[in-house]
Amino acid sequence: MESWEAGPTAYAGPASPVRPGRTELGALAASGASASLWLDVLDATIRTCQEHGRTDLVSWLWQRRAQLLHPHLRVLVVGAAKQGKSQLINALINAPVCVVGEDRGTTVPTVVRHTEAPTAQLIVRAAPDTGWTPDAARQDSIPLALDRLADALTETVAVQPAATVERLYADVGVPRALLASGLQLIDTPPLPGLPAVAPAAVGRLRELATDGRADLVVFVCEAGRELSDAEVDVLADLARLFPSLVVAYTKTDYAAHWRRDLEASRMRLVQAGVPATVVPLSATLRARAVQTGDAALNGESGFPALISLLEATVAAKPDRLARATVGVLGRTVTERLAVTLRDDLDAQRAESETSHAVKRLHETQRRMDELRKCATRWQTRLSDEVGDLMSDIEHDLRERTRAVIARADETFTEADPARVWDEFEQWLREALLEVAQTSLGWLGDRAEWLARAVAAEFPADLGDVLPNWVPGVQGDASDRVTELESPPVERFTMTQKLFTGLRGSYGGVLMVGLVTSLTGMSLINPISLSGGAVFGGKSIREEGKSLLRRRQAVARATVRQHVDEIYVGLAKDAKDSVRRIQRALRDHFTAVTEDLQEAIIESLRSAKADAEREAAVRDGRARRTEQELIRLAGLQKQALGLLAGPG
Amino acid sequence: MTGTELAGRLLDDAAQVFRGHERAETWLRRHRERLAEPLRLAIVGPPQSGKSTLVNALIGEDVAPVVVDGAAGAPVWFQDGPRPSAQIFPAAWAGPMQRANGPGHTVAGPGVHAMGGVSRVVVDWPCRALRHTRLLDAAGVDGDGEVPADAMLYVTRHLGDDLTALEQVQSGRGVGALPVHVMVVLSRADETAAGRPDAILSARQIARRRRREPRVAALCQDVVAVSGQLALAGRSLREEEYAAVAAVAARPRADADAALLSTDRFLAAGFPEGLLRQFGLGGVRLAVTLVRSGARSRAALGAQLVRQSGLTELQASVSDLFTARRDALKARTALIALDRLLRAESRPQAAHLVAELDRLVAGAHEFRELRLLAALRAGRVTLPAELAVEARRLAGGEGTAHAERLGLPAESSPEQLWPVAEDAAGRWHQQTRAATSAAGRRAAEVVLRSCTAILNDLG
Repeated sequence: MESWEAGPTAYAGPASPVRPGRTELGALAASGASASLWLDVLDATIRTCQEHGRTDLVSWLWQRRAQLLHPHLRVLVVGAAKQGKSQLINALINAPVCVVGEDRGTTVPTVVRHTEAPTAQLIVRAAPDTGWTPDAARQDSIPLALDRLADALTETVAVQPAATVERLYADVGVPRALLASGLQLIDTPPLPGLPAVAPAAVGRLRELATDGRADLVVFVCEAGRELSDAEVDVLADLARLFPSLVVAYTKTDYAAHWRRDLEASRMRLVQAGVPATVVPLSATLRARAVQTGDAALNGESGFPALISLLEATVAAKPDRLARATVGVLGRTVTERLAVTLRDDLDAQRAESETSHAVKRLHETQRRMDELRKCATRWQTRLSDEVGDLMSDIEHDLRERTRAVIARADETFTEADPARVWDEFEQWLREALLEVAQTSLGWLGDRAEWLARAVAAEFPADLGDVLPNWVPGVQGDASDRVTELESPPVERFTMTQKLFTGLRGSYGGVLMVGLVTSLTGMSLINPISLSGGAVFGGKSIREEGKSLLRRRQAVARATVRQHVDEIYVGLAKDAKDSVRRIQRALRDHFTAVTEDLQEAIIESLRSAKADAEREAAVRDGRARRTEQELIRLAGLQKQALGLLAGPG
Repeated sequence: MTGTELAGRLLDDAAQVFRGHERAETWLRRHRERLAEPLRLAIVGPPQSGKSTLVNALIGEDVAPVVVDGAAGAPVWFQDGPRPSAQIFPAAWAGPMQRANGPGHTVAGPGVHAMGGVSRVVVDWPCRALRHTRLLDAAGVDGDGEVPADAMLYVTRHLGDDLTALEQVQSGRGVGALPVHVMVVLSRADETAAGRPDAILSARQIARRRRREPRVAALCQDVVAVSGQLALAGRSLREEEYAAVAAVAARPRADADAALLSTDRFLAAGFPEGLLRQFGLGGVRLAVTLVRSGARSRAALGAQLVRQSGLTELQASVSDLFTARRDALKARTALIALDRLLRAESRPQAAHLVAELDRLVAGAHEFRELRLLAALRAGRVTLPAELAVEARRLAGGEGTAHAERLGLPAESSPEQLWPVAEDAAGRWHQQTRAATSAAGRRAAEVVLRSCTAILNDLG
């Protein structure tokens, strides 16, 4: 304590987060090596935060740093509503400086500090996050009547515009030996939600601790009950920012079994791992003791214990408290940074599954596989289709030529080839030509369809893979459809007719002559002659008919043979065409497949390279993050070393 | 026809409409039965606010809290019964209660886990105060969700964050729009101002101030400061306790005062711990002061303590605003329940029920009367003294029969009532114009409406 009492009571260094030079520390660095140790750790922590881009933490740590170098010990008194926070401060300094009362509570924070002559003012801060310190920027300050301070404060706050209430704080100076040692007490409005629920109170308390530039927090809880779960939670959160806490167990004069509750509360704090000193207090007894000058009563009030605790803390501030604070801060900050880093690491790991390059690589590999499958598929399809086409075209030709043959047979069942041949030959040629053209035209269509069917086997995203040219049907049909010579025809000449007639009539004359000879007529008589004439005529007619039939048969056979020949020719042409088409398509699609394969292999190569590059980058980053984590662990170890260091 | 009768008829109609709908039928039947039962008064509030102590103070004996083994926090109903016993629902298991080590009783359930949890506990306790009112001791503002209460005492030490909780339960529609069923109790009044003998006095002042705050007034009928502990101590004061208090008072003043400084000193001075447990330090201080200032017998001290504790004031408030109007409050609960059912299960046949309900709610003049009575009590409305008395009477503050409202003997004939009612109607009609404040005008309108209602009924 003596180390700084010789020095200035007000801190002369800059309040903004500018690092003061070592020389400015002057008397503060009394315990030399030790002070520089915690400063080193704190500076290292700040630097680490800066490297991590945590400007919020940096400015907050600078604030804490400035505060730690400040000779004053600022004690924040917090707690739920109606626990006796203001009473505690009033009793501590034996002056009614804080607002107490059943139905009016503390509405603005009140800073109580030492001054030679009493002063009191309500200060409007420049911004809601400016600290409640005399050197901080202020917008306005309103003096308060000293004789009725509490009333004046309540009234003045009530008339302030609602928007500024957040920026208000009261600054009260009283001449007190206790405060002269550098102690500053800060009364605060009740924490919201306590003692039932914690979350709102945790947030508010962090704000209060930051704005109040607190070095020590006194948490107030009334006797007659245990600390609630929510309060223990709040304290646990606070323990991450402050090395030691004080829990003031107030109103012990009134509660019957406060010792039991106190022990239970202590137990709960130990179980929650909160390093807190629990002090039983009674403001009423203290006030009474001061009134009557009763030292024993004063002792019973518990305040002497609190005062000596506070004085010890003031004395310990430049050294032990600072060291412990830096230890806690270092631990908390490194933990917080490590959480971010670890999240980062996890995110990177997750990213490796989803990065663009890797995705592209997978995609390309997938396309390669697809193409491979597709190559087999289109080849099978082509050969299947060609086989089908062959048999189809053959069947088609056969059907059509058969129809022609049937037609010809029909014609020659009735007509006489000798007479109608020329006409028939004309018709036959045309019919066959038509057959050839229809069939071959159909083949052309089928070929195109086939090309399209094979092209459809390729994945749609490749675009148009149809050949722009399909070889047409070769071989001219008219070459194949040759002229058909008329078949040799047996003609029924006059001589033949005469001879046949005579042969026929001879039998007739004989038959009739024999009959008539019975009647006594001669064998050759007019009757037998006329009978011979009849028989002769009949023979000639019959002979003519049989000749015609023979001619027709010959003609039919000739036509059939002719058509068959043409069919064979046409079928050969068609098959040749199909084979050509097959060959052309195969060449085309093979070329397409090869092109695609080449492109995919190229992109696969580049995707692989990209993915590898990216993996390398990621590995590098992960390694850096891990190194950073190791560094943080080192820093944390240093901080913990401060905590564990010799007290 | 009274509110309960109208509500009962409406529930019967609804039962017709919802025939065959099992859940709706059960719901309606339960509410129909409840119309004939005593008023259900819930005592709710945050933990440690003194609910059980207040229950005990109202019953006059140390009964609450009743804790079922393994099911702490279940809502507990207290009703009049031939002998003390507890029933545990939903198992409907009934068993005896044992005195707990601390305050209250415990019930050893037959394996609570086997029963699958406890939804509520119903305690039978022979007590005159429970004859017309059933009490519910529950933690949340919602109380017993299954069996909602007709009226609510919200117990809190400081009316701070609680206001928000109260605002949230306020249903802002139809029947539920007016907070005629809520009263705020500032409990543990003996601890106010660090437990000085005048603690309860300052607590009362605070209550008076709070009940006039517009935000508080919009949420409750009244704010009353009570020390449940002192009230119970006064009501159940035993001779030996009186003797112990008298012994403290008999000590030289300086000695006694020194011993009363703190609990530690009190015990160190050799005074009995039981006294501290029963009264609290503030209570002992008050009792000693009362004995010194003339309460020379057990009965006198007990009466004084009860009076000082604020219980009398609370009982009067409960009696005026809740018990006397239990018909209206029970009808209100039934109508809210019906409203909820009709909204959840809309069916075409129910259309006339909705219309009927709306008509009944629109004509629910009784609730406005209740609000006026509460406002007059709390001083939120100020009328000239004699007018205030008349307004209170006409609005049914001294009984809801016509003769009582008009301040005539109960056996008066309609012919005698008519001119008085007409006269009052004329006077209050004028008052609606003469009133200088909006609140005064509204109050006059409510009274006028009460007068015209009487005239309508008589004509």
